[in-house]
Amino acid sequence: MKKSVLSAMVVLLLLGVAAYAAFFVAPTDAKQGVIYRILYLHVASAWTGLTSFFICFIANSLYVLRRQPRWDWLGVSAGETGLVFTTVVLLTGPIWAHPVWGIWWTWDARLTSTFVLWLLYVSYLLLRTLVEEPDRRALLSALFGIFAFIDVPLVFGSIRWWRTQHPQPIIMGAPGAGLDPTMYRVLFFTWLAMLGLMTLLLRQRYRLEAMRGDLEIIQRELEAA
Amino acid sequence: MALLSNTTVLLGKELRTEFRSRELLTTTTVFVLIVMVLFSFSFDPTSEESRRFGAGLLWLAFLFAASLMLQSCFLREQTSDTLSALRLSVSDPFAIFLAKLAANTLFLLLTELLLLPVFAVMYNVAVLPTLHWLVLVFFLGSLGVSIAGTALSAISAQARMRELLLPLLLLPLLTPILVASTEVTAALFDRSPYVQWKGVGFLAVFDLAFLTILWLLGEYLVEE
Amino acid sequence: MKNLNSVFAAYMIGWTVFFVYYISIARRTSVLREDIERLKNSLSRGK
Repeated sequence: MKKSVLSAMVVLLLLGVAAYAAFFVAPTDAKQGVIYRILYLHVASAWTGLTSFFICFIANSLYVLRRQPRWDWLGVSAGETGLVFTTVVLLTGPIWAHPVWGIWWTWDARLTSTFVLWLLYVSYLLLRTLVEEPDRRALLSALFGIFAFIDVPLVFGSIRWWRTQHPQPIIMGAPGAGLDPTMYRVLFFTWLAMLGLMTLLLRQRYRLEAMRGDLEIIQRELEAA
Repeated sequence: MALLSNTTVLLGKELRTEFRSRELLTTTTVFVLIVMVLFSFSFDPTSEESRRFGAGLLWLAFLFAASLMLQSCFLREQTSDTLSALRLSVSDPFAIFLAKLAANTLFLLLTELLLLPVFAVMYNVAVLPTLHWLVLVFFLGSLGVSIAGTALSAISAQARMRELLLPLLLLPLLTPILVASTEVTAALFDRSPYVQWKGVGFLAVFDLAFLTILWLLGEYLVEE
Repeated sequence: MKNLNSVFAAYMIGWTVFFVYYISIARRTSVLREDIERLKNSLSRGK
């Protein structure tokens, strides 16, 4: 209990410092003005979401090979946290895009593939709700998770090659070419704070799933008795 | 070699089952036809517009049709309880998948080739000059759809709400296929048609990647 | 300082999403705990 409160406080502190840095330490972008500061949250969330999905993929693969329930628990937890971070990416993106590009949404490679990624993991979580038997659910969702993750680079590649009407947008395009070193540092620090937040959420979610798993075992034994 | 002979035997079984009733082929063909007609109301189907939207429309119709057609692929085995017999009969469960996906590719390709003339006439697009390339794209695209679809239908057959679940799982996964085949097909429908080799290569890469995962994971998909 | 409101809005939305998710985990955990308690009680009564 003490430990979890302490770690939560550390993560909150990190997030606070990251936000402070994003607002006051990082210099204002010459072309975009103050609005670009959204990108610290946006880009760091995107990286964290991808990290989370990668963890989900590793857990899925390990479940298929080892069949230990804990990999299933980690898989669903990582899938869910990844989805939360990707949701933040999809919500903050348009807020930034509207003043900069003049439109809320464009079917650009990054946006579209993030959206498809989001849909894939929604399907992953949905599949889990539709299989009753715990072992079967774990196996099937793990298999689908592997397919989904392998699909991600293909989705990204296809959309990038054929579906980007705009020349590469401003992210990693214009300012990315000569991103200020302070901006880099702030961005990486925000990512670090976000990873802390992810770990925190992941751990809580994992505990919940582990509890649910135990309950399912007890219920099964009761029914058998 | 056992894999090959097993696959041929199972493929024969799949084809016999289908061609006895032709249920799947008929319903899928009619479905695509309906979608084609309905799509014509969503834009002005002049030849100029058709050249721009036609390819996407065609592939969307194929994708929807496939996500419905592939339902029965493993469901049939489940309802008649033949999956365990099937698994016992082969040394490598990958043969089951190979046979099913070959059959599904064939069915899809048949439907597509059957409806291509109808599409060409209705939407006023010239398809004859590039027919051989179109067949290649249809083959690679249908193969990719069938590989992913056969694998996922093994998953969805074991879940509740399976009729709705399969399109939900399959369609986002097929985004790369839709994008690449639409682009290649659109280039072939163009006034001065050309083959987009990048797209053809991409489709081949997709097929190969998914076939490899299916080969690795196949045995778990049909596990008891 | 044009668009500062948008920046604040974005950060608010982002943090709200994380917070809501955290709350939802906590809520689901407490519901599950209650279930387990109830199960335990009915078990001890059954004996």
